[in-house]
Amino acid sequence: MSLALLILLPFGSSLLLGMLYLFTSLRSERLYALIGVGAPLLISLIALWLGYGQLQGAESLHVSLFTWLSIDALRIEFALSFDHLSAVMMAFVSVIGTLIHLFAVGYMRGDAGFGKFFAYFNFFMGAMALLVLADNPIILFIGWELVGLASYLLIGFYHRESANVTAANKAFIANRVGDFGFIMALVLLFGAVGEGGFSFSAIEAQIYSVDHALLSLIGVLLFVGAMGKSAQIPLYVWLPDAMAGPTPVSALIHAATMVTAGVYMVARFDFLYVLIPAVGLFIAVIGILSALLSALIATMQSDIKKILAYSTMSQLGYMFVAVGLGAYGAGIFHVFTHAFFKALLFMGVGAVIIALHHEQNIFKMGGLRRFMPLVFYPMLIATLALSGVAPFAGFFSKDAILAAAVASEYPLFGVLGLVVAFLTAYYMMRLLLLVFVAPAKHRHTSLHVSPYLSLPLLPLALGSAVAGFWGMGGAYGGGDALTHFLSLSDYAHHLTHKSEYLLALLSNLIAFAGFALAYRRFASGAREPQPTALFERWILERFYVDALYHALLVVPLRRISLWCERIVDDRFVDGTLGLFSGGYRTLATHFSTLQNGNVRHYALYFLSGVSLLSLLLLWRL
Amino acid sequence: MIYELFLILPMMLIVLGALMLMLLSHREAPLNRNMLSVLILALAFGLTLSRLGEAHSVFVFEAIFGRSFIVDSFSTLFDLMILGGAMLTLLINHDYFKSRHYFDGDFFALVLFAVFGMMALSHAHELISAFISLEIASLSIYALVGYNSDNPKSREAMMKYVVLGSLAGALFMLGLALIYGATGSTELGAIAAHIAAHPQDAHTMLIIGGFFVMVTLFFKIGAVPFHAWVVDVYHGAPLPVTMLMASTFKIALFAVILRIYLGDFAALGDFWSLPLQILCVLTLIGGSFLALSQSNIKRMLAGSSVVHAGYMLIALNAITLGNFNASESILFYLMSYFISSVGAFGILSFLAAHEHKQLTFEDFKGFGYSHPYLAAMMSIFMLSLAGFPSTIGFLGKFYIFTGAIEAGQIALAALGIFVAFVSIFYYFRLIATMYFYDTPKTEQHFGFDTTTVLILLMAILSIWGGIGTALLPYLPTPDALIELSRHAITSLD
Repeated sequence: MSLALLILLPFGSSLLLGMLYLFTSLRSERLYALIGVGAPLLISLIALWLGYGQLQGAESLHVSLFTWLSIDALRIEFALSFDHLSAVMMAFVSVIGTLIHLFAVGYMRGDAGFGKFFAYFNFFMGAMALLVLADNPIILFIGWELVGLASYLLIGFYHRESANVTAANKAFIANRVGDFGFIMALVLLFGAVGEGGFSFSAIEAQIYSVDHALLSLIGVLLFVGAMGKSAQIPLYVWLPDAMAGPTPVSALIHAATMVTAGVYMVARFDFLYVLIPAVGLFIAVIGILSALLSALIATMQSDIKKILAYSTMSQLGYMFVAVGLGAYGAGIFHVFTHAFFKALLFMGVGAVIIALHHEQNIFKMGGLRRFMPLVFYPMLIATLALSGVAPFAGFFSKDAILAAAVASEYPLFGVLGLVVAFLTAYYMMRLLLLVFVAPAKHRHTSLHVSPYLSLPLLPLALGSAVAGFWGMGGAYGGGDALTHFLSLSDYAHHLTHKSEYLLALLSNLIAFAGFALAYRRFASGAREPQPTALFERWILERFYVDALYHALLVVPLRRISLWCERIVDDRFVDGTLGLFSGGYRTLATHFSTLQNGNVRHYALYFLSGVSLLSLLLLWRL
Repeated sequence: MIYELFLILPMMLIVLGALMLMLLSHREAPLNRNMLSVLILALAFGLTLSRLGEAHSVFVFEAIFGRSFIVDSFSTLFDLMILGGAMLTLLINHDYFKSRHYFDGDFFALVLFAVFGMMALSHAHELISAFISLEIASLSIYALVGYNSDNPKSREAMMKYVVLGSLAGALFMLGLALIYGATGSTELGAIAAHIAAHPQDAHTMLIIGGFFVMVTLFFKIGAVPFHAWVVDVYHGAPLPVTMLMASTFKIALFAVILRIYLGDFAALGDFWSLPLQILCVLTLIGGSFLALSQSNIKRMLAGSSVVHAGYMLIALNAITLGNFNASESILFYLMSYFISSVGAFGILSFLAAHEHKQLTFEDFKGFGYSHPYLAAMMSIFMLSLAGFPSTIGFLGKFYIFTGAIEAGQIALAALGIFVAFVSIFYYFRLIATMYFYDTPKTEQHFGFDTTTVLILLMAILSIWGGIGTALLPYLPTPDALIELSRHAITSLD
């Protein structure tokens, strides 16, 4: 029952908020905030309580609410389950989600759509909870789609500006492309094993009977779904544009919900991916390329939110490297720690943006450290964590991934991973220095930061600092507690302790090298760079990927659509139909001339009808 | 004896009521004759209703009439439909009766005589009785069609109907004589026994006789090529009479058609099938031609009623091919058509009562803005007549087409679906006319009175019949209607 509450609470409160907003004239922000924050707070408590049970070794929970569909072999239970993986996911999704809700109360203050925003926000939480708790891929897919819908609604929240609506459309469409892959995978999977039940455990039990080639195809198609949701090459283009939404939305999308869904899904299907390491390698390649590409782009961005967006994509790349190489535990570990510091960074950035009246260009900021220490220090911690500096949370999770990469048969992943780590440290420190440390461009007298905006940062800062200890590897005296708790089918190799120390030292040095470079270039302020070198221009233009997509996909598709509209539909379909209907009407007019009002003619029709039918009878008899 | 009297009491009530109305017709004192006739019909309805669901099959006064009149659950259901139909027709035209001066007592007496004829038709178990009942109903309706003697159109319509009706009646007599010659009896049971006792190829004369009988009945329901009178007569007749003909009279006709086909001529199904299929195709296409080319709503509805007869012929054809389940679909279709057409005609009558118009498509321009509620209900009726999903009309068509497909008549079902598409043109044309034009008129007040409440009821029924299955617990659903029909049909075996 408590499982069902995890779903019902956010959806219910979302419905309530929506109804209140639509049908009443109540506009009390206090009331909306109370309901809107209360629901996620409650599910956090339930999730933590249930998760604590799991930690104590309780059986995983299964609830079947009702049979959703039952057609012959197709039998879909609306079932939820709560095992170790969903416990970890649910715990940080709900807790961090709650903090983001709290932050949003301050951020959205005074917005006319305050109630609507929280209705959407709770809906987002509910969708994510459904996704995480689903007991079978169909329910997971429903959550998956609802998450897409919620993100669409929230990215386009400021719908009066057409650019925001375009961004929302882009996110939705890119996600739909991925979803198509996902749905194809589900169809194939159902065709292969659906007869014997379609819950995750039933699929796992039958997975060995599936043909290897088919399994690989399913694996790739599932990952196509993850590419869309988790913004990996080539479907990442929506993520930077998604910054059009209010900042709490970005925080929620990037930290707690949505983008982590892809990693979660791959981890959830670990039993499938274990059997197809070649597909895993493909995932890892896509992951490292995405990480590298987005880290490079992030170094040249000047929009504060876009830097963070690309950074998310880059970190997601790490996670996919991990799950691709079979280190599922490390992947989820990084999802977990990343949620803390990325949520913190977005919320800090949100506070900065609010304080500066929606200025987002980092080159126009500066010197904010004095005015908002409660934002600066948490963000500093988050930056250190994100850059993988020991002993902050990001260090342990990133180190686990790098160790798995170095130990794998393809150590190149490790090398590239270190390069990305360098870039990460560089662009994060660049952001921090330009915003907080570099001399101010304008004279601020006082900048007010609402406690709603700064207080939620503190628990997150604590989390960013210490969350990593839970999954600390054996080399540092921990016992890979998180990985053991998750007990996913990891097949990654392990490094010796000595090489792990070496790796840790190296990655820390690299991070500090990145910091140093950033410090040299930006500590005393800098002007917005005008790209000169060809390569720089490439990076600034994001490698022309958007333009490429536009030219390769959008333009031809538009041409074909226009052709269909003008030629196929207008001339061919409508023409044929017009011919038919016109002909029918002409015939009808001719026929109605028979209806001339003369009784003698009517009698004639009658009698000729009788005669003709009589002839027919004669012939038949 | 007493029991048999009780069985025919509803019919007696109607006749006595008609006679009483005739006696009262020249009283000067104001008397609401409409309500009086409704009261009589309601009494008969109540009496009949008490027998619904009870399985019985009794030949009334067998010693006197032989086996010519039967009271069974089949006739009970049809009595209910006829009485209910007549009642609703009279009630929904309440405003119309008040607005026209020519509706005196005789009018209502004639309506009751027509109803008596129709009821007798559903009880007839013998062809001469069937003919007499048919003529009682027809003669009353002839008179009703020409009742507005000030209107030349009405007089003309009556003349046409009388001439053509007599022609058709003559064919009935011819067929009757042939059947009697072949079997030595006109009683349906005896004919069935004769068919069963003799080999298939010895029935030539019987088939020809049966064919002529059928031609008359098809004439009455307006099947092409015996349809020519329909549009003119429906148009010329006063609106309440048009409604009575289009819905209630058709119900009675199908009662006798079903009784003959299901009970007695079933063994000869092979012979009926081909002519029926030809009639079906002609009726569906010809009817849609008729409906397409009209500019007057009343004429359009008349033309479309031919199409609806065509749909029921599809089901009849399925019956001749041995799919007896299709008879339920005819009953259901009759009800669904009744509900939607009475609603649509009701709106026409309401408008004619209050605004004195010709009721062409032109007159409906901007109707959606001047009468938003009526226009919404008119749209519901049009959707239902077109067979749009979530209306009762859709379910009616659905049962008919599935019945045809089960009987292997896929081409006919396909034609039916095609014609249903065509029908969207002329039904939706009215909806489009109502909503896509501006009107200088301001919004009219929607007042609740007998007419509008009944129109509303019909609109609710149209929707409820289409989706009501699970939404309203404890209320009978379309399935229950089908169940009722099935129960009634069993008494024919």
